Amino acid sequence: MTGVLVVGYGNSLRTDDGVGWHAAGLLATDPRLEGAQVLARHQLTPELAADISQASLVVLVDAATAGDPGSVSVRQIRPRPATPTTWSHHLDPETMAGLAETLYGAVPPIVLVSAAASSFAEGDRLSDTLQRALPEVVEVVAGVITGEHRP
Amino acid sequence: MAREIVIDPVTRIEGHAKITIQLDDDGQVADARFHVTQFRGFERICQGRPVHELPSIMARICGICPVSHLIASAKACDQILATEPPPASVDLRRVMNLAQVVQSHALSFFHLSSPDLLFGFDAEPGGRHLFGVLGANPQLARDGVGLRRFGQQVIESLGGKRIHPGWVVPGGVASPLEADTRDQILAALPEARAATERALGWYKMSVQRFAEEAARFGDFPSAFMGLVGPDGSVEHYDGTLRVVGADGAILAERADPRPYWEYLGEAVEPWSYLKSAYWKDLGYPGGVYRVGPLARLNVADRMGTPRADAELEEYRGRLGRTPGSSFHYHHARLIEILSCLERLEELLGSPDILSPQVRSHAGINRDEGIGVAEAPRGTLLHHYRVDGDGIVQWANLVIATGHNNLAMNKSVAQVARHYVKADRLTEPMLNRVEAVIRCYDPCLSCSTHAIGQMPLHLQLLGPDGTVLDERKR
Repeated sequence: MTGVLVVGYGNSLRTDDGVGWHAAGLLATDPRLEGAQVLARHQLTPELAADISQASLVVLVDAATAGDPGSVSVRQIRPRPATPTTWSHHLDPETMAGLAETLYGAVPPIVLVSAAASSFAEGDRLSDTLQRALPEVVEVVAGVITGEHRP
Repeated sequence: MAREIVIDPVTRIEGHAKITIQLDDDGQVADARFHVTQFRGFERICQGRPVHELPSIMARICGICPVSHLIASAKACDQILATEPPPASVDLRRVMNLAQVVQSHALSFFHLSSPDLLFGFDAEPGGRHLFGVLGANPQLARDGVGLRRFGQQVIESLGGKRIHPGWVVPGGVASPLEADTRDQILAALPEARAATERALGWYKMSVQRFAEEAARFGDFPSAFMGLVGPDGSVEHYDGTLRVVGADGAILAERADPRPYWEYLGEAVEPWSYLKSAYWKDLGYPGGVYRVGPLARLNVADRMGTPRADAELEEYRGRLGRTPGSSFHYHHARLIEILSCLERLEELLGSPDILSPQVRSHAGINRDEGIGVAEAPRGTLLHHYRVDGDGIVQWANLVIATGHNNLAMNKSVAQVARHYVKADRLTEPMLNRVEAVIRCYDPCLSCSTHAIGQMPLHLQLLGPDGTVLDERKR
């Protein structure tokens, strides 16, 4: 899995917003992802652009505010040029991809795996709903990387 | 009829603040103030906590410079433990601190200030952000992103996290440096240095366009304060505290900077949550002094590394021995990045850096401790008192932005008096008033920061509260 980059991101102190961190923790030791680079980040920032541009495949893992709590969705990310309104504290996945493309001239396939959150309350543990969904999140990410799961 | 202009929030700074500009009856600027409108309360939060927890707690003060708080806090704890960290741990703390200066300065220069320097202060605000820089000068944008990434990667490789690492602990650091990690950092240094050299070259060429701003952006006589090493070079971790006047003459050199209450006062004003530190000998509010990159270069005899010293010589050749304009914080910041990268190479080139002896252990042996270090924005002091069980009873923090508070207020007033002439507001006026604050790179909490365009609401009010003019963006 050399060249694969997995970025789980969100606020690990806001219950389900930390699902990316929890998934990254499991994926970092998953033998199916041996050789992949797995990162946990609070948010997508410009500094990730170089890592993204150098990867052969990028899988982002985040919580979603929409959807039935615990449901897992997958979508392909298309690079989008940045505008002032798309960039304040963080970058969204499309703008992140656009930045990588503009800065370094290349952007690999990028897939976002989202788990619909049940709670964003303070807390460093997932809600029961997302705790139950976490194995599916890991399976979907692994499936995207091995080619078994296509967005 | 006296009137008031309010800029709220101030954009492209770390934290939340507003600026008010008071007009007199003739429509001229009578006064201006920089208000910090957020409250953090860390000095109270830590009361009742075991002192060993403080470095990790205090690192949460800031998402940009957590390492500075980590280090100042750990040094205060070292004193309470009456322990001396092993030499390798001191060098490792230095490595992490230098990496943080690099990434923080990169954020300030490239992400927050370079849009003004590239496009000019009169440019349309819609393009004045890093993405605008990307379109106009992609190499500059790449260098900024790359330098910030470099510094963050060094921090992460040592502490396990880019933000809020808990690796610096009372008595040293939590784990020794692995040879692979050292080699990875060393391998990344040449590109980081090349990026800094390119940025310095670009800045020195570009700055000639801004002679007027350089003469108005906080250009006034003041004292400057910073740590220096035994040879008079810039020092970020330890050393003695040196204060120089506007003419460069040494006003004070304190072998032990820790008893800060002997030389610094802290005033509180009702219009800001930020304390105003002042040099006691000069009184309040006259005891204005500045800290941070500009001050460190002004107080030091040299940078202490070859390339940075060559740049310092050129800088002083252009601007004089003790430049008084805060506009030159930008230039000083770049020279400091270069110096930090050179120092990183020195430290990591020593085999002693891999020593497994990185932590001394001790119990509570003193009831008071003070840690002093240079944060990216200036001198940082953490002062704690504990009971016999090591439970924190009291804490006081004197942060760089507090040292600079009086100077920032003077700077805002100076810029406002020069550029704000009428009761109709223009974007270039507002941008210059904000930009002078950005020179100081104030760190107002700093768990949040803004890059690029954020909502700015400015009102021109009559004495009865009537809105005479209003701008939103």
